[in-house]
Amino acid sequence: MISLAGRDILHAWGKFIFTGIGLGLLIGVTLTMAGVYRGMVDDGKVLLDNSGADLWVVQKNTLGPYAESSSLYDDSYRGILALPGVAQAANVTYLTMQIRQGENDVRAMVVGIAPGGAGIPGWPPYLVAGRQITRSHYEAVADMATGFKLDDRIQIRRNDYTVVGLTRRMVSSSGDPMVFIPLKDAQEAQFLKDNDAILQNRRRIAENPAFNRPAIPDLLDTVITSQSSNPYVNAVLVRLKPGYAADEVVEVIQRWKRLTAYTRSQMEDILIGKLIATSAQQIGMFLVILAVVSAAIIAFIIYTLTLGKIREIAVLKLIGTKNRTIAGMIMQEALGLGVIGFVVGKISATFWALIFPKYVLLELRDAFSGFIVLMIICVLASIIAIHAALKVDPAEAIGG
Amino acid sequence: MKRQPLQRRTLAVLVVIIPLFALFVYVALSSGPLAPVSVTVETVKARSIHPVLFGIGTIEARYTYKIGPITTGRIQSLAVHVGDRVTAGQVLGEMDPVDFEARIRSREATLKHAQAILREARARQAYAQTQAHRYEQLLAARSTSEEIASTKRQELQIANAALSAAQEDLSRAQADLAATVVQRENLRFVAPAEGLVAVRDADPGTTVAAGRAVLEIIDPKSLWIHTRFDQISASGLTAGLPAHIALRSRSGQSLTGHVFRVEPRADAVTEEMLAKVVFDSQPLLLPPVGELAEVTIDLPALPLAPVIPNAAVHHHDGRIGVWRIEAGALRFTPVRLGAADLSGQVQVLVGLKAGDQVVVYSEQALHAYSRFRLVEHIPGLAQ
Amino acid sequence: MEGGGIRIEGLHKRYGKGETAVDALKQVDMRVAPGEVVGLIGPSGSGKSTLLKCLGAVIEPTAGRMILGNEVIYDNGWKITDLRALRRDKIGFVFQAPYLIPFLDVTDNVALLPMLAGVPNDVARTKAMALLQALDIQHRAQAMPSELSGGEQQRVAIARGLINRPPVILADEPTAPLDSERALAVVRILNDMARQFETAIVVVTHDEKIIPTFKRIYHIRDGITHEEIGEGREFD
Repeated sequence: MISLAGRDILHAWGKFIFTGIGLGLLIGVTLTMAGVYRGMVDDGKVLLDNSGADLWVVQKNTLGPYAESSSLYDDSYRGILALPGVAQAANVTYLTMQIRQGENDVRAMVVGIAPGGAGIPGWPPYLVAGRQITRSHYEAVADMATGFKLDDRIQIRRNDYTVVGLTRRMVSSSGDPMVFIPLKDAQEAQFLKDNDAILQNRRRIAENPAFNRPAIPDLLDTVITSQSSNPYVNAVLVRLKPGYAADEVVEVIQRWKRLTAYTRSQMEDILIGKLIATSAQQIGMFLVILAVVSAAIIAFIIYTLTLGKIREIAVLKLIGTKNRTIAGMIMQEALGLGVIGFVVGKISATFWALIFPKYVLLELRDAFSGFIVLMIICVLASIIAIHAALKVDPAEAIGG
Repeated sequence: MKRQPLQRRTLAVLVVIIPLFALFVYVALSSGPLAPVSVTVETVKARSIHPVLFGIGTIEARYTYKIGPITTGRIQSLAVHVGDRVTAGQVLGEMDPVDFEARIRSREATLKHAQAILREARARQAYAQTQAHRYEQLLAARSTSEEIASTKRQELQIANAALSAAQEDLSRAQADLAATVVQRENLRFVAPAEGLVAVRDADPGTTVAAGRAVLEIIDPKSLWIHTRFDQISASGLTAGLPAHIALRSRSGQSLTGHVFRVEPRADAVTEEMLAKVVFDSQPLLLPPVGELAEVTIDLPALPLAPVIPNAAVHHHDGRIGVWRIEAGALRFTPVRLGAADLSGQVQVLVGLKAGDQVVVYSEQALHAYSRFRLVEHIPGLAQ
Repeated sequence: MEGGGIRIEGLHKRYGKGETAVDALKQVDMRVAPGEVVGLIGPSGSGKSTLLKCLGAVIEPTAGRMILGNEVIYDNGWKITDLRALRRDKIGFVFQAPYLIPFLDVTDNVALLPMLAGVPNDVARTKAMALLQALDIQHRAQAMPSELSGGEQQRVAIARGLINRPPVILADEPTAPLDSERALAVVRILNDMARQFETAIVVVTHDEKIIPTFKRIYHIRDGITHEEIGEGREFD
């Protein structure tokens, strides 16, 4: 037996391929949508991965440092370091801001990393070019996505930094690329806004008679100094010694240090469950609508293709073709269209995912389940067409 | 059986379908989880590195003289302005003396009065002396009574005491006058050493509290840099090491200097070591006090040892190490690191030898099971 | 009853019910012997097409009796269950428009029927090739239907009708779109085939060009058949 569907596809292959490509672009959009969602989740996960921490210690009763602002004294880490089970503890600051480079500015998350070299929690775990920070001030490691190049001079608040290294996929949970700078610089950047603000603040303090006392001449200077330093960080990243359970150390930290601590899985819940939940639902709804639209379009295409062959189907029925054969032909054509659409969709999604401003993660799992769903949609869509085909009266083939 | 037209058609279809599926397979394998991770490798070389310390400091003057009144008062005159050079002993200005002249005159009058009292006491004492002597002789000749003679003796004693008192009064009046004159002198601001006026905080007519500095004089020859080094990366910091100084206002220009002193007290709050760095030769144009300076200190070169770029250092499974490629697979080798220099080269004390290949850059975090592909540069980087 | 051919006795077909009912066929009696080509003529609305559809087992008559070959297929009700197999195996159709399957080439159009019946592709194609040869159109075996002329298409359609060697061929205006030379050529082929394969052929037509070629003609008027003796004119 020859494949009627195959012959029909071969006969009208131009139309078929073009329809398939059109369908493919639609499927590509659907896959990309799923990819955008996966990308958001992945942004959250790489943020946690790249911090290299087992525990996050934050201000008491906050969901910091990513989902909520948190600040704790920068010497808290010393106490944490002394707790049993803690192998490493390092301060870290996060601040999302605009970074200027020449005329342009880039939105980025500035990460202040504790001194000590690669391997300290918070440091970029791998580079794609350049080197890690070696000076304790005014050097930066930037993510490729910022567009900065090695040896670029970038401006963060009041100071210029030299880009000495580049990373890849180091992003905040909202997809902003990261720029790593030494902790002390970052603390200063968080606090000291700009020269004008500093000057105004100094003037304001000097005008306050409580601080500017003739009898105590050094008081003003002391007050200004104490007000323009920033002894806070956003979180302490903790690495555990082997053999210690994260939950137990969290318990100890919460109880004795009166700070809040989160494990990796709790942090993931916060990031994915709270931070990107509504965006994810938004995309999920869009995905559902896209799937429904795709199904409707596939059904429509198959139906139209079948109606175009209604005469031939009548002849086939008249000369004794079984219903099963005719239904099989239509369904095979629908599936063939689906396969071509999927291939085109997967290819186009992969290529245009690269030019999206934020990360689009096309997972194999999604592609696979997408394919299964597509095949089911094709089968369901062909049912309408098959129904129409089987309703055709073979008598129609005989004129009069 | 020949089936020409169909073959042509089939061919045409294959021309479209096969590249499409080939592209599909390529896309599936070159992106996503199946794609190999691009990595670059470098050979470990035994090299001597020059570790360098990096610190940030501010220009400060070693000697700063703050000059102000010791009593509350009003400034009468100030002869110098910011930037003026002064010499030791130079009078820079004066507080308003108010009633000091009158007080000196009063003291002088008191002194004269005391002198007059002394003269009177002397006169009285000389008379009493004569009287006493005469009555002694008369008593010896039994020409006067014992009672009168003893009265005269007592008068002499009283006159002696009055003379002493007058002499002491005179000393006091003299001292009072001297003290007032000295106080008057102290209303003047005098430069304690040669230097440069850095601050002039008040102008004539201003009332200032006792102890408040009106002028600040610095010794420009004694400028140094109060430098802070992070404690973690300050090993080997000692006095005498050569230093390069870059001033914030003169970027690109490097001045030479050396470590003058490492402070015995470190900053416990900021976790920094403090050191004073001095210029080897006085800069032609004096940097302003308070300017930010970046200080790099060259440590002596270290003996040959395997050296890797710090980008090759990774943290994996709770250990610091490097990824090596062995028999086509990635293997994590824990290492112990030694000194590093500012260009990102770091010595390996234990774990590697020269000639080993280590992964430097990678597109993603690596795992032992990662598929990888060796490349010259990580793709996607703007060169 | 001597073997083969078509026998129709008292066939009746009524469309609709009650007062609006129309009797399309009232009294049809017909007999076609194997190897015989019979003309079925009549004006529009006379019931030609209805008769053809009944014969083709596409619509069900209301009453009467139909015998195809040696099988009673209808006797006041269908006597066989698989009408589709009946159409495929016992009846060949040749239409006014050839209705070839546009996405199959000439050989496969002809070979499709045995293929559908489960005959291996090669066997079916060889059989189709032989038939195409007999119809003198083997040189277009690989062409697609759209590349053929009207006469060629009709010949392919005849080949398709004949491929299963059905005892009966129903031809509905097979010559309508053709000029007289080609029309006659088609009729000659039908005659040749009828003789060669012992097939009973019913040709529904009102084509004046070919009516004189029939030896026997059934005239149908208001649903009633009248048998006439045709001219039976020889070709050439």
